[in-house]
Amino acid sequence: MNSVSPVLAAQNLVVEYRQHRAVDNLNLQIPQGCVYALLGGNGAGKSTTISTFLTFNRPSSGQVLIEGESPHANAELVRAKLAYLPENVALYEVMSGLENLTYFCTLANIRLSSDQAHSLLLDSGLQADAHQKRVAAYSKGMRQKVGLAIASAKQAKAMLLDEPTSGLDPSAANDFAQRIRAAADRGMAVLMATHDLFNAKQVADRIGIMKNGRLVEEFDAHTVQHDELEQKYLAHARGLA
Amino acid sequence: MIKTIIRKEFLATLRDGRLLTLGITLLVLFVGFFLTSMYELQQLRAEKHSVGTTAKEQWNTQSVKNPHSAAHYGIYVFKQDTPVAALDPGLRPYIGQSLWLEPHKRNLTRFNPAADQVLAGRFGQATTSFVLTALLPLLIVALTFNSVSQERESGTLRMLHSLGVDAGQLLFGKLLGLMTAFSVVLAPALLLAAVILLGNFAFTLDDALRLLVLMLVLNLYYGTFAALAISASAYFNTSRTTLFCLLGFWLASVFIAPRLGAVSAEILAPNPNASQFWREIKDDIDHGLEHDGDHEERAKAFEAQVLAQYGVSRKEDLPVGFVSLNRQHNDAYSVKVHALRFDALRDNFVRQQHLSHLGSWLGPSLALRSLSMTLAGMDLAHQRHFEDAAEQYRQYFINLTEDWDRERSRGTERKATGEETDWRSVADFSYQAPNIGFALRTAEVDLLVLLLWLGLSVGLLKISARRLAP
Repeated sequence: MNSVSPVLAAQNLVVEYRQHRAVDNLNLQIPQGCVYALLGGNGAGKSTTISTFLTFNRPSSGQVLIEGESPHANAELVRAKLAYLPENVALYEVMSGLENLTYFCTLANIRLSSDQAHSLLLDSGLQADAHQKRVAAYSKGMRQKVGLAIASAKQAKAMLLDEPTSGLDPSAANDFAQRIRAAADRGMAVLMATHDLFNAKQVADRIGIMKNGRLVEEFDAHTVQHDELEQKYLAHARGLA
Repeated sequence: MIKTIIRKEFLATLRDGRLLTLGITLLVLFVGFFLTSMYELQQLRAEKHSVGTTAKEQWNTQSVKNPHSAAHYGIYVFKQDTPVAALDPGLRPYIGQSLWLEPHKRNLTRFNPAADQVLAGRFGQATTSFVLTALLPLLIVALTFNSVSQERESGTLRMLHSLGVDAGQLLFGKLLGLMTAFSVVLAPALLLAAVILLGNFAFTLDDALRLLVLMLVLNLYYGTFAALAISASAYFNTSRTTLFCLLGFWLASVFIAPRLGAVSAEILAPNPNASQFWREIKDDIDHGLEHDGDHEERAKAFEAQVLAQYGVSRKEDLPVGFVSLNRQHNDAYSVKVHALRFDALRDNFVRQQHLSHLGSWLGPSLALRSLSMTLAGMDLAHQRHFEDAAEQYRQYFINLTEDWDRERSRGTERKATGEETDWRSVADFSYQAPNIGFALRTAEVDLLVLLLWLGLSVGLLKISARRLAP
């Protein structure tokens, strides 16, 4: 893990919705090349944290920073430096994977040649014969691959993943994890919200456990075993920690 | 960026099965109604021409008789509808199709088709203009109600937001992309209509301009509906809520607004009933307008003036026919009274038309329908223009017969006669319909209301863009 200034940071972040504190005084730092897995049950505040980086919601207090700048003060930062992959990668059903990739990239001011687009899809693991098929016929895993291709094309500094392996079969989840690891190894900072302990252990450098909006524990992923991770998670989930 | 969005929306809309299904259904409906309308128009034009020619020939071939008796035979004249009326017959079903011109009295048009319709006809009154002004906006609603809400529901809006896509460009791109796709689907039907019209009617430059302007305002109208639908789709959280609201708006605009407008106009500017209208004309003639004196006083004054003019003391000694001269004088007064009352009635129609826009706050359909019938030359203003021309013609041929009567008799005798050469010398009624400038001036309030709605819809689209959240 790199110790230089973080690509993604949350400083005393508080996000409230109608009296409900979804994120409570969160502090975290994710440097270049680091995969940070946020674990926690439903309503723990993981997705809200990611949404705040994407400016889908505003902090009630504190701030999020992308390479030291607030995306809420400079919306262009989101487009220039972040890639986003939700649980269900949302694509246009009546368009092919190739058309979706080209469309989203053009909107992000990235001009791709046909060869480049095909190459990005292949690199993301989407078979060539699927490139021209309409997305309506794609599996969830295939959609994730198009999402990855979009993220790769952006050459973003950081990637935000919201439950990325939920609903994927083990093989597809493993394949996806390897591609995320590879992206981090190329220098990308990755913040991943997930329920999937196995996936978190497999791919993350650091793991944080959230509960009721608070980061209740944070540790190096390489220093814990699967069993230990599961025990920590369950202890927090059951209120035993 | 906006070009990319337009292109994507265009392709996505074309690939959407809804557009194809609804587009083909409407195309079939449009073509069906259009062919029926065109056939009706052709029949009507042929009938009017045939009856007009026959009526004039019957006038021409009258026997030797007193010119005033000949005038009482009367002449029927007809307003020829423009080819654009095949797209919008406007008020034709409710306005008399023929005007009988006779001495002494200015008539209203007679024989409105609605009165001749059998009961079953009331159930099948959809027309081409109904497809254009009511059903096509419904197609737009069906295509756009989920244009943004679906993106929100599927998550693509979050994807777009994460790419920093400008919400304004996204919404306006959707609007332009959709309108382009819509035009592509609509174009074959309109092209077909234009080809059929050109093949079946002698098209003047003015007809072509009217058709072009009608297409332009229809596009503004569709654009208004599309912008409102996209705004609603961006504003409401779910597609279902958006659809309900848009259907409510469509119903209000297409069906409730015209009714509300008509009722408001009738309450605020009521028309006299027919018996009252004719009674007032008779009263004005009998009792005279202000300072004119009653009929008897006017008759005495005229007789004195004529006797003085010709230097005689008795009507019997006049070198010209006094009966005809007196009749012309009375008719001139009748023309003056009729003109005042007819103008007042028709001015009230205009007032009512403007007041009917009180219903326009519910939607742009009322303004569009009024504008459409004006461009088709099937509104009250064009009818008034025709009736005024017919009135001029009535005065022309009645005065001509009175001239013959007066010049061919003396004093109080009634011996003047005319023959076929005289009757044939009466020129045919040749009506020159007003040009498109007249139509646009007439419809300026409708145009203004339509533009206000367009401005409002674009403004709402901008507001929705500012508020748009993933």
